[in-house]
Amino acid sequence: MPDEVRRLLQRRMDRRDLLKYTGMGVGITAVLAACKQASSAGALPSGSARPSLSAEPGDLSVYDWAGYGDGSYYPNLEKANLWQAYQDQTNDTPQFTLFPDDDTGYAKVAAAASGGVPFDIVHPCAYRFKDYVDLGVMQPWDTSQIPNYSNLNPQLEQFGNIDGQQYFIVEDWGFIAPLYRADKVDPQEDSWSLLFDERYAGKISWINTLEMLVIAGFLNGVSNPWEMTDDELNTQKEFLISKKPLVRVFWDQSYELFQDFKREDVYIGYAWPDAYAYSKGAGLDVVYMNPKEGRITWSCGMGLFNSSENYYHAHDYVDSWSSSKAAEFLVGSYFYGHANTHIDLSGVSPDIVKALSLDDLSILEPPNSNPESYIPRRQVYADAWSEVKAA
Amino acid sequence: MASEETGSRRATAGLLSGPLVWLLVFFIVPVAFIALYSVGGIHIFPTDPREISFEAWHRFLLGHSVYMSLFWKSIRVSLTVSIVVVLLSYPIGYFLALCVKKRKYVLLLVIIAPFLTSYLLRVLAWKVILGDKGVINTALFELHLRSPDHPVSWLIYSQFAVMLVLAYVWIPFVALPIFVGLDGMDMSLLEAAGDLGASRFRTFLRVTLPLSAPGVAAAFIFVFVPTIGEFVTPQLVGGTRGFLFGNAVQDQFTRALDWQSGSVLAFFLLLVVGILMALFGRFSRVRTVRT
Repeated sequence: MPDEVRRLLQRRMDRRDLLKYTGMGVGITAVLAACKQASSAGALPSGSARPSLSAEPGDLSVYDWAGYGDGSYYPNLEKANLWQAYQDQTNDTPQFTLFPDDDTGYAKVAAAASGGVPFDIVHPCAYRFKDYVDLGVMQPWDTSQIPNYSNLNPQLEQFGNIDGQQYFIVEDWGFIAPLYRADKVDPQEDSWSLLFDERYAGKISWINTLEMLVIAGFLNGVSNPWEMTDDELNTQKEFLISKKPLVRVFWDQSYELFQDFKREDVYIGYAWPDAYAYSKGAGLDVVYMNPKEGRITWSCGMGLFNSSENYYHAHDYVDSWSSSKAAEFLVGSYFYGHANTHIDLSGVSPDIVKALSLDDLSILEPPNSNPESYIPRRQVYADAWSEVKAA
Repeated sequence: MASEETGSRRATAGLLSGPLVWLLVFFIVPVAFIALYSVGGIHIFPTDPREISFEAWHRFLLGHSVYMSLFWKSIRVSLTVSIVVVLLSYPIGYFLALCVKKRKYVLLLVIIAPFLTSYLLRVLAWKVILGDKGVINTALFELHLRSPDHPVSWLIYSQFAVMLVLAYVWIPFVALPIFVGLDGMDMSLLEAAGDLGASRFRTFLRVTLPLSAPGVAAAFIFVFVPTIGEFVTPQLVGGTRGFLFGNAVQDQFTRALDWQSGSVLAFFLLLVVGILMALFGRFSRVRTVRT
């Protein structure tokens, strides 16, 4: 036994000793943590010899939106429909960490990128996919390990294919369109211009994301609002600042928009399908517009971090999410579309099926709608949007 | 004798070392990180600048930045809230300390009782009260003081809503230091003032108020410093008009991912609050009693 340790055991420590040994402890811990990080960062790439499912540690760590498995919205149904099959197969219970929006979700991963991301799976939306891949923290899926993959819409899966590799398995999709109270609002035409209509000053709600710049771009005839020039972007920024006095609130969560509609604090909003369906369910006379500039379609998908030690667990989890059972739950409970094309829509109200075109996937193709796209100059857009809010 | 002194010094150092380490690790070091980030000394994201530069500071301070006017808006809101809260809290503290004879601590507990419930729930309750179809507007409709088509719209999603909810949140906490100041006052001074012929109002002005001034000053600082960087309440009830400087800081870190600009805003706020605190400490040497 080294003398230092023997001395430590044989007598009481004075303060200098305490500091000394604390320092040693911190040092050893730091070295061990660095080793662990290095080992996790060096996880095997896809296709190499890797531990079998039973040899993986489990406790799959899922980084996702609220309500997509953690039980925030439907405590029992989320598990039963989205990942019960995974649990039956692996005997593992996934652990959830939530992000409130795409930007915050990405920020946490980007901040942890150099030291090893502490999650196995992430669920961002398509216009963020390339940002994640560019961070160098993702690995492609082996789609042969996902039996339900063959049931997914190949057109949607194309969004998750970057540089020829399937980095994301697209699962859910939906629209972005104006929502309004038909009994209170009389649009002059079916157009995004309703979000800027001075007749309804103080009764309008915008989303709190830089996509408002894109909407302004579509409305003002910009050829590609996802890749605007500085001049075009500046014009949209000034346009939004000039129209901001008409807006009562920026919403962060779709449910907030629904609540504002229900309380009659707003009559018009930039909306996702769930806000429409919730409002309908609450008996409100609402219309989910199909603007002449086109609705925007969004899609989101599951990505696998290259530091994950749960490679096969992750594939099983995504397979569970890709099943028709999960799809029917998502469509029936959140009124979003699902990439699985084998869905029974009999449980969904015909009004909602029609309004959201859940039975007609041609809606996903331009010019029927505008797919949400990667924004190469996202930081410039983000700064412009921050200025709109602060102005 | 000397060893006793050394022992006492060691004991003091030992007692202080914990809080000092805590302060160093959880305050000084993070603030230093923020300062470094603001000039490009640290970079985390691919979009962060890679060289040391004061460009972000220059843009904020001299570039007609929208954030500077937002800063003054926050100062206005925070000052208004602080003054109103202190004015409203003083009678509460006065009543509890000088008028209530029995069970004053029970009453104090009653004032603080709402804070045993969730903050979010209480703010949500305000939304129900202040909304266009909320309690207040519905009462106005019922009394035919307002048409249902024209509710009082500035009650919610406005600067007023932010100030109202902030005042509601802070009044009990501000009443506490005022109460403590008044409760510890030497009552014989009030009797002496009365014996010397001072009216109750004159006694209040010349004795009670000066004696309670340190508590009032502490209470003012207690509400002013946190509200100047407040972002949760404006986010929940402020709408587009209630957006404050704290929201801009949060926005830069979470949504815009411009941590350098966010660090500039955050560090600037810290500097301003630090200077204000120093000035306040320097000039608020309140006299105890005028002699």
